[in-house]
Amino acid sequence: MAAKSNAYMGSTTSLKQIDKSEKWLDALSDPLTSLYTFNSSIALSDLNGDGDSKLIVADLGTGTYQMKLKVFRGTSLMSENTLLDLPTGVVTFHMDTTEPRVPAIAVASGAYIYIYKNLRPYFKFTLPTLEVNPSEFDLWTQARDDLIDHATLYDTLDLLRKDVGAHCLTTRTQHLLMCRTPEERQTFIDAHKYFIVKKRTVITCITTMKKNMAEEDAVSCLVLGTESCQVYVLDPEAFTLLMNLHLPSVPSILTVTGMFDVEYRMLIACRNGKIYTAKRGMEEGRLTAELSSQPVGLERREKSFLVGCMDDNVYCFSNHGKLLWRLRLGASLLCMTTMELASHAQKLLLVSLSNGEIRTYQDRQMVDSFQLEHAANALRFGRFGREENVLLIVDQAGGLQVKILRRRAKFEPMETASALTAGKELKLNIPKKTKLFVDQTMRERDNSQSMHRIFQYNLYLLRLEAARQYVKSLQMSLTPVTTEEQPVRLAAQVLGLGPMFKIRVELQNTSALKIVQDLGIRVHADEKLYQVQRRFMHAPILIPGVTYVYDTLVEFVSDLGISDQVRVFITRGTQSRPILSAVINMPVAEVAVSA
Amino acid sequence: MGLFNTLATALGLRKREVNVIVVGLDNSGKSTILNHLKPDLERAADIVPTVGFNVERFKAQSLAFTAFDMSGQGRYRNLWEHYYRDCDAIIYVVDSSDKLRMVVAKDELDALLQHPDIRPRRIPLLFFANKMDLKEAMSSVKVTMMLGLEKMENKQFHICASNAITGEGLSDGIAWLTQAAEGRQSKT
Ligand SMILES: Nc1nc2c(ncn2[C@@H]2O[C@H](COP(=O)(O)OP(=O)(O)OP(=O)(O)O)[C@@H](O)[C@H]2O)c(=O)[nH]1
Ligand SMILES: [Mg+2]
Repeated sequence: MAAKSNAYMGSTTSLKQIDKSEKWLDALSDPLTSLYTFNSSIALSDLNGDGDSKLIVADLGTGTYQMKLKVFRGTSLMSENTLLDLPTGVVTFHMDTTEPRVPAIAVASGAYIYIYKNLRPYFKFTLPTLEVNPSEFDLWTQARDDLIDHATLYDTLDLLRKDVGAHCLTTRTQHLLMCRTPEERQTFIDAHKYFIVKKRTVITCITTMKKNMAEEDAVSCLVLGTESCQVYVLDPEAFTLLMNLHLPSVPSILTVTGMFDVEYRMLIACRNGKIYTAKRGMEEGRLTAELSSQPVGLERREKSFLVGCMDDNVYCFSNHGKLLWRLRLGASLLCMTTMELASHAQKLLLVSLSNGEIRTYQDRQMVDSFQLEHAANALRFGRFGREENVLLIVDQAGGLQVKILRRRAKFEPMETASALTAGKELKLNIPKKTKLFVDQTMRERDNSQSMHRIFQYNLYLLRLEAARQYVKSLQMSLTPVTTEEQPVRLAAQVLGLGPMFKIRVELQNTSALKIVQDLGIRVHADEKLYQVQRRFMHAPILIPGVTYVYDTLVEFVSDLGISDQVRVFITRGTQSRPILSAVINMPVAEVAVSA
Repeated sequence: MGLFNTLATALGLRKREVNVIVVGLDNSGKSTILNHLKPDLERAADIVPTVGFNVERFKAQSLAFTAFDMSGQGRYRNLWEHYYRDCDAIIYVVDSSDKLRMVVAKDELDALLQHPDIRPRRIPLLFFANKMDLKEAMSSVKVTMMLGLEKMENKQFHICASNAITGEGLSDGIAWLTQAAEGRQSKT
């Protein structure tokens, strides 16, 4: 724990210089709005159709009381509606084609959807009741008729819960099972047993899907995920169920693209840490990706999707569920959202971390970061007021911040350091342990000493051989660079395709001051194969630093299709021992075309 | 004075054309202000958001103004700087009821003041804190503060609260601008 908090401190200090981003203008920072809300309960929409986009927030109040639907216009609160229960999500959508074209607000809360039009309550939709588990139903009927006592009812229901899972039971049973003392149970049962037991599910997430037209203000259906592991699509005008999708677990985040009547694709992140896909015509979700922990956020990209998880990572999967990359955040992820910049055709990912940092990523590359005083609970990017690119932040202290993206701001990768860490994350493909592998390990463990000795012996032999060869080459001047007395570098190359080649010898005096004089260049080759035009060339003087070039023609004279080596020696004065030498491997000569 | 002016112009002693560029965020009321400055007969009945820019002419006292009514929408704001070089004065219109975007207005103003065609010149700047009739409008003093005008160097400026629909406050501003522009011209 101590180490962890240290790590946090380390990261905050290193971020000091970037805690304010020059890309954003602070339009509003109100610490006193006391909003308690999450990403799913915020929406931006031009509610009055006057070109001035409003902020709609479903405020959870204290968490038990004071739940409100608030609408902000610019910097001030414009309207407030009391909500009866905790909201789980807010969306705005066009439910009909009547003029003027203003969107409605849908607030999901419990088993209901409250629709507001022109900021006034308009309609309440109730989810259909579900079939009660027959044994549960019988138990409650028997309790009503006083056929069983409270303890039996409680115990049998508890057994039933273990059998089918708590989510298959009614909320009444769930409540009962949560009562701790027998007295509490007794009062609860007495208060409820005369009412018929009903099973009602609760909405867990909500989103919208265009019905049959793609326009910005086209009519949209509501898409709901429920505690009963289902996804419903509602008709926007008649509020009838258009579709019912079954999932193996409770959906927690929904994203939809496409149109209901044409073709659509849903991505559903569930509480079991799995992601399912559903297309038009499917009755059940298809497993697409399995996560190692619970999802926090789900954002869709063109051919992939991004999932932020509780293990502080963001994963990118292809639409077919292949893991493309992973990004380590280094702090807990609170929420994430997409920042779409139409002017730059960019889709960036904004993440809020528990240490109060807001980071912007383009794919895996961090492109921006700034620090908040309190960590952000909710982030939303979009059109607000008359400004296109606005970021709204609701922090954990309840404050609302509005940041406007500067017109000239560009998001480009900040540094290559993140690229390095990206490299580090490459996963090695480690094969499974085979029998052979185990045998080898055993053998190595048993014979470690002798193996080490043999290895050392061979290593010494290798070093000895290398030293010998080195001495030999020094003695015979086989290297292309000479030592102290004659600081000359030799480079030889062969040009042409044959049968006529040109050998080009470059000599360079590598010393700073010393002048080298009276060198001879000898070109030696097998006379049966090559005819060298100038076997000897004289280099009278080499000035330090200058490269001297000497050429000679070499003709391949044999009719065998082979090639050989040509040696170049550098001698000095009348000494016959070369001071330098080079070996040129001649290419196989092409046959002369004219012949 | 009037006689002197006419005489001076007739003798070609004084140039009477002044180019002004009218800038500010979209929806701040630039076109509405210019529309009100035109003679009654030439006024347009309704104003639509400007695309690119429009050129308007109006007369005020001794001067003939040519005004470049720039569009304030984000995607057209990069057009502004092309007209900085040839302008003799700048009118900057602010929607004083739009608290949220005051930072944006300030950011764009700072960019304008830092532009090489503006920075070295002692050019007159007239600010209209427009839409003063709306109840959430800020006073011109507040607008001066939020735009940081008191820190502005090497410029002469004037700010008036205005209502472009009734024309309140406009003549005050234009009178100052005329004077400032005349002062500059008589110096050159
Ligand atoms: N209440 C009030 N409304 C105003 C005032 N001035 C302008 N308006 C309104 O503001 C809206 C925008 O005015 P425009 O003149 O088109 O704004 P603009 O600055 O030219 O906008 P762009 O051309 O898009 O840059 C219009 O609906 C005007 O009627 C004012 O002083 N008071
Ligand atoms: Mg205009």
